[in-house]
Amino acid sequence: MNKLKRFLRDLGLKILRACGSTIIDAETGRNLGRAFLFTWRGKVFVIGLDTPVRPVFRPQARLTYWKQELGFTVHPPPDFPRCGKGP
Amino acid sequence: MAKVLNVILTHQPAACVAAMIEWWSRHADSAQVLIVAGGRREDFDEIAQAQKIFADDARLRTMDHQREFQSYTGVFRDVSAWLAGRDRTHVSFCEYDHLPLVGDFNEGQLARLAAEDADVIGHHVQRIDGTSHPHYLCHHSNPEFHRHWEKITRREDPEVILSMFGSGSFWTREAFDAVASHEEPFRIYLEIYLPTLAHHLGFRVRDLPDQNSFVQVSPDREPELDAVREAGAWAVHPVKRRWNRARGH
Repeated sequence: MNKLKRFLRDLGLKILRACGSTIIDAETGRNLGRAFLFTWRGKVFVIGLDTPVRPVFRPQARLTYWKQELGFTVHPPPDFPRCGKGP
Repeated sequence: MAKVLNVILTHQPAACVAAMIEWWSRHADSAQVLIVAGGRREDFDEIAQAQKIFADDARLRTMDHQREFQSYTGVFRDVSAWLAGRDRTHVSFCEYDHLPLVGDFNEGQLARLAAEDADVIGHHVQRIDGTSHPHYLCHHSNPEFHRHWEKITRREDPEVILSMFGSGSFWTREAFDAVASHEEPFRIYLEIYLPTLAHHLGFRVRDLPDQNSFVQVSPDREPELDAVREAGAWAVHPVKRRWNRARGH
């Protein structure tokens, strides 16, 4: 039963990814994978994206009052210095 | 002079553990192996390895590890207690299905730790606060989650949450003992808790980007051990069924 459930889940995700969009990092332009996006009751549902992303509104050169773009980005790899370490 | 303790966490019967230790003896000093057995007490009693401890911890024995927020906090505490009075300088922590592949496994870890000037190195280390990472979102639903890090952090930014794959990591003794000495305030999944606590205690946690492709959730890597070794792997995960053959399964 679990195998069947897993198979159906994977198949569903494959179809939704194929119907979805390529997600491009709004800051670096890197390909973050494919996802199916849809809105429902004021929320954006992100289906099938494996990369952990943060939503960001994209900067606009032209001022528009009617439209803003929401994109996605990722944190840079963690590279924090040591800092007052101890138990 | 660095002295590494290789902690291997297992739940398997003694025959499987014996086969696992034989493999480890080809890749690290077997005198520096500590078996942490989280399975049945009868299996633990039959393990021939002199250096062993029994982990009697319900938070370790989860079935759905992510949804039950599996914890290694008790294991870290037990290992840290075992280390008291012993002169090990570093701890290499591996699950039973995380196999070393090179003869100088610990030397490679020590060299990388020094090159990164780090206190902890592990696989798939990433920053996940504010992201769509499922483990983060699940913990973020608890209002106490971020408050806890605000209370204990020694850093300017208390918001940082890290994730690190749980199957194998390498620690300085100081970082390991410091993390082991803290009580988990509420249930937090080990892949978030361990690296985030180390980070907020001031330790430097670094990723192993060149090794991450060899350490994945699935599939089982046993058929390709030689290939991944030739591709540069120090270790590989998962190899789940190899030791079962030692007891005829």
